[in-house]
Amino acid sequence: MSARNRLRSLFTLVLLNGIIPIRTQPLYLASILASPLSFLFFIYIVSAGRLLLYGVLGGMVLTMLSVGTSLQSDLTHYRHDLKFQDVVVASPVEAPTYVAGMALSELVYSIPALAVFVALFVYEGWATPFTVAVVTGVLLLVWGFASAFAFTLTTYFQDVRETFLFSPIISLVLTVLPPVYYPISALPKWAQFVARFSPTTYAAGLVQGAVGLAPLSLSSGIVDWSVLGAFTAALFLIAAFKARWRDP
Amino acid sequence: MNVAASASASMSAAIHAEHLRKVYSHAPPGVAALDDLTLDVPTGRIYGLIGRNGAGKTTFVRIAATQLTKTSGVIEVLGHDVDQEPRVVRTQVACVPQESRPLYFLNVDEVVYLYLKLRGADSPDARRRTKDVLAELDLTEYAHQSVMRLSGGLRRRTLCAMVLASDAEVLFLDEPTTGLDPLARRGVWEAIRRTSRERRTLLLTTHYLDEAEALSARLALVEEGRLLLEGTPQDLRARVRYPYRVTVQTPFPREELEPYGRVTNIEGGYLVFAREDDAREVARRALDRGARLSMGPVSLEDIFLDVVGRSIQDDALPSDAEEGVFERA
Repeated sequence: MSARNRLRSLFTLVLLNGIIPIRTQPLYLASILASPLSFLFFIYIVSAGRLLLYGVLGGMVLTMLSVGTSLQSDLTHYRHDLKFQDVVVASPVEAPTYVAGMALSELVYSIPALAVFVALFVYEGWATPFTVAVVTGVLLLVWGFASAFAFTLTTYFQDVRETFLFSPIISLVLTVLPPVYYPISALPKWAQFVARFSPTTYAAGLVQGAVGLAPLSLSSGIVDWSVLGAFTAALFLIAAFKARWRDP
Repeated sequence: MNVAASASASMSAAIHAEHLRKVYSHAPPGVAALDDLTLDVPTGRIYGLIGRNGAGKTTFVRIAATQLTKTSGVIEVLGHDVDQEPRVVRTQVACVPQESRPLYFLNVDEVVYLYLKLRGADSPDARRRTKDVLAELDLTEYAHQSVMRLSGGLRRRTLCAMVLASDAEVLFLDEPTTGLDPLARRGVWEAIRRTSRERRTLLLTTHYLDEAEALSARLALVEEGRLLLEGTPQDLRARVRYPYRVTVQTPFPREELEPYGRVTNIEGGYLVFAREDDAREVARRALDRGARLSMGPVSLEDIFLDVVGRSIQDDALPSDAEEGVFERA
């Protein structure tokens, strides 16, 4: 398949799984907004507004992670219930194009949530070339690893209900336990140690550090980028070699 | 088959399978979904794969369409090994999987158009092909209706339209008319025939033996993963010992019919498989007695029943299947 046709397939998937369903049912957008905004509201109330800024950054990270969760459900549903993945496999569309197109289409749903958080980000006066570059880079890596992980996982699922089993666990490991919505110093020592195993800890460290909510030295920045990058690369490699495009 | 013969068969076949075997990891020990299956699907023809549920039809289609890995054997599509060159194969195939459904938030036009775009077609070409195929399958009036609001039959027809509109050389339709009413089935048949006239190859699996017979240039009968019978519908009939069937409604003594051929009890009467002269004689006797009757050549269903020993529709053994209408090799 030529590069031009790959691009055509990619944008067709965005249209097919992103733009057209939203046009048909705009409530999808409200549904995607609900989760990060609820967290933000909860944090605002509980911390009497002190942790609101953490909530804005955490909301951005959570929104990108939710792309992975939604992708997981859609890919499993399309594969098992509609047999759409089989239709795509028996066509010139290759697995990376399919996953990239589907992951991009999920991003379309996140636009309103991201717009709210970006507006708050700008309102706080955080928007500088440096912070925008850091936040964009972090969000892209989170989107990348969440999508790669979702694809790999779904190729092992036998039923869409398995996604309901995994989603809360993934959410716990990647968003609740790691210091996405609060400073890592708020956690007890043992929990800080456990949180170090989650890539979102490094993502949160980078975005919080970039805007001055947490200390960020050059060396800790390098460590955070390296861990986040390595984790994303590892999940891409696992997706490339272990995901099942053709059933065994 | 020697190597030269195998190579020659492979060259002219759109799909060439040799000693194909598939054992699913979750299958009980010794149970193969496909077992030593060898067949050639000729280029530019409609090929019917018939068999009961679980016979191995879908497994064969999924392996040929690069959706499923084989356990052993060889399978090639248009001369390309499905395992070694899956990307080349995928540019030349299209498939409607069994039990597939269109994405529910699309309308009929979008299902076809976006599928063609997904395969890399440019917009004017995709638009033209979509319009043509919707007209061909009598779907134009539903073009802008959401598939969510369509009957199961119309959804199935939309999926058929999708792959028939593609530029793929080899099309796989796995049970394409399941759930369609007779009129809709005929609409799909006509579109399938048109595709075949374009010299494209179409592998059709079906439970409907009338459909297989009406459409297929050649047929393969698969049971428990093995190929039992292969050839044109005429080939299959030529091998029948009793080429005619006569149904006779009671009252009629069975003993009087038995000298003429094989007699089977059916609801309300008898089914007699006989040679032509004997069939005429049975019909004459039945008319003399005022019994209702029908007479004609044996159907594919009769042949299936005889070869497999049970009906394609159910798992129950027929009461009178011991004696065959077939000349067995």
